[in-house]
Amino acid sequence: MRTSILSIIALLTFALAPAWADHHVSTVVDGLDNPAGVAIQPDTGHVFVSDSGASRVIRVVDGKAQDVITDFPVDVYGKGPMYNIGPLGLVFLDKNTLVVGGGGYKDGEELLRVYKIPEAGQPAIKADQMEGSSKLVATDEIKGEGNFYGVATNGKFVFVTCNGDDTKGWVSRARINDGKLSKIKRAVATKEATEVDAPVAVAISPRGELVIGQMGEITVPGDGLLTFYNAKNSKMLLNLETGLSDITALAYSPKGQLYATDFMWTNTKEGGLYQLISKEADGKQSIEAKKVETLDKPTALAFGDDGSLYITVIGTGEGDAKGGKLLKVAPGL
Amino acid sequence: MRFLTLLLFAISCVATVTADDYELQYPLGLKPMRIPKGNELTEAKIKLGKQLFFDPRLSRDDTVSCSSCHEPSKGWSNGDDFATGVRGQRTGRSAPTIINAGYSYFQFWDGRALMLEGQALGPIQSSVEMDLTLEECVAKLNKIEGYRKQFQDVFGTDVTSPGIARAIASFERTILSGNAPYDKFKAGDKSALSDAAERGRKLFFGKANCSACHAGPNFSDFAFHNIGVGMDNDPPDVGRFNETDMLGDRGSFKTATLREIDRTAPYMHDGSLGTLEDVVDFYNKGGIANPQLDEELFPLKLTVAQKADLITFLKEGLSSEDYPDFKPPALPK
Repeated sequence: MRTSILSIIALLTFALAPAWADHHVSTVVDGLDNPAGVAIQPDTGHVFVSDSGASRVIRVVDGKAQDVITDFPVDVYGKGPMYNIGPLGLVFLDKNTLVVGGGGYKDGEELLRVYKIPEAGQPAIKADQMEGSSKLVATDEIKGEGNFYGVATNGKFVFVTCNGDDTKGWVSRARINDGKLSKIKRAVATKEATEVDAPVAVAISPRGELVIGQMGEITVPGDGLLTFYNAKNSKMLLNLETGLSDITALAYSPKGQLYATDFMWTNTKEGGLYQLISKEADGKQSIEAKKVETLDKPTALAFGDDGSLYITVIGTGEGDAKGGKLLKVAPGL
Repeated sequence: MRFLTLLLFAISCVATVTADDYELQYPLGLKPMRIPKGNELTEAKIKLGKQLFFDPRLSRDDTVSCSSCHEPSKGWSNGDDFATGVRGQRTGRSAPTIINAGYSYFQFWDGRALMLEGQALGPIQSSVEMDLTLEECVAKLNKIEGYRKQFQDVFGTDVTSPGIARAIASFERTILSGNAPYDKFKAGDKSALSDAAERGRKLFFGKANCSACHAGPNFSDFAFHNIGVGMDNDPPDVGRFNETDMLGDRGSFKTATLREIDRTAPYMHDGSLGTLEDVVDFYNKGGIANPQLDEELFPLKLTVAQKADLITFLKEGLSSEDYPDFKPPALPK
């Protein structure tokens, strides 16, 4: 009972009326190659992007991209379409410490990387110039992990969605000790909890719950889940169908509204940004996903302190041009 | 556009869970089924659907009914490698079991139909299977007074093709298998599985990697995967690719439920594997290599004893003593 009440209260934090009636979307940077992660640097407000296929992390200042970390390993995701992926999820521990989820190595060898990043205007560092890293290797009984797509922090842990072991669907976590990241460990077997594949999106709710967007099968539309877990003990609090197909990112706005991106693998022309609105009927929680904007293969979300929402999209390039973009939704969501 | 329609339909199907005047009884281990609006279950509709399902008059020469390829005594399949229709014609694929098929959004091995309502009329119109146009089928059934009366009672019309589809789909939703030893084990009865089956269960959800795709209450994600079966044929059956034109779907077929798997041999979409021993050997080798082989297929390195335990789990753990062994009804005149 206590769990249910807590869960409902948590959900009510995004149960308010739609906040997206008037919004303006602009392109901040284009020509990116499968951007797959975005984070806002504390203090400066600079936007950092995993320009995944280009094997680099960039900083965006005044609409211009600067290399920050380069030469990440790159792998291919998918059997057709195929996407080059290198660095994936991003999150800052503090102004100078950036955690990067890797996607360029095979399962079991993939790294969660920690960097001390150079100041704006300073030369970029190489991907192997890490402050630290850790991985989730295979054992006789457990598969190795890889594709660390989503990363988020509650100040005590960094949570990482993993996509190596599809029988378990691990969300892993690494404790933060004195500003340093300890070894990553498997924490939540989301596949066992939800019986649906692929934790991908991750966020921390305003009340501190671990919120996971379960992508489901990419070949099946409408099977995406939103699941709340106790961030301390990993117990599932609430599991809700969303009607979305392939949730790739979650983020709470400064107003406490929850937003999600849907990649919509089976028909990417219908992907988009959604507000997830809590509903309650017959004593049961549910979700209404209201479309805010149609987006071409959206991958990541992050709110700036001023309420601007930054979104990365893979997009569709013409000819040899890369279609990836960093988009900005003006404050107000 | 096709996929937009598909998604909208999927979402519209989410809301309705229970029937109008017929309450579907779910065996232990199964969840409530999504029943599309406009085709709520009723006793009379299910009875009508059962008659239609078993009636060979739905074929051109009165020799083939739905039950010809979906025989209750043969696991609701036909015990043969391919489905066989009128004049002894054989299709190019096996007849999938329809046990728990009501849970699957996509129907047929390649998912070319949506929901049971979308599937039911397909074989009637196939020249290889039942070989009637819908107009011919409707005209034929309208000459049978017993059907005309029942259609009037159920739908308020004479026989129509949408009515045929809805009635057959309604009946098929009642063909459920649960309450197997696995379900009892999961519910807390630790004696429900033999020692060998319990060892097999752990392998199923672990080292053998089965649950990467055979997940959830139906032991299927009802999604599409390329495991390599038939990809060494020239030309291969490319399955789902014919529906989506997505390269990644080449050679993909829908994951089959494993409920009552001991009754549904031979296995795979082409019926090419005669026994569960063959199936486990196939997976233990990592499937058949091809460019679109699912990443969940890899050599499992199961020992002889482990393979035996896994098969024991499949046979004992997923076979219900409440098997839905329906008898053919008296047909209307």
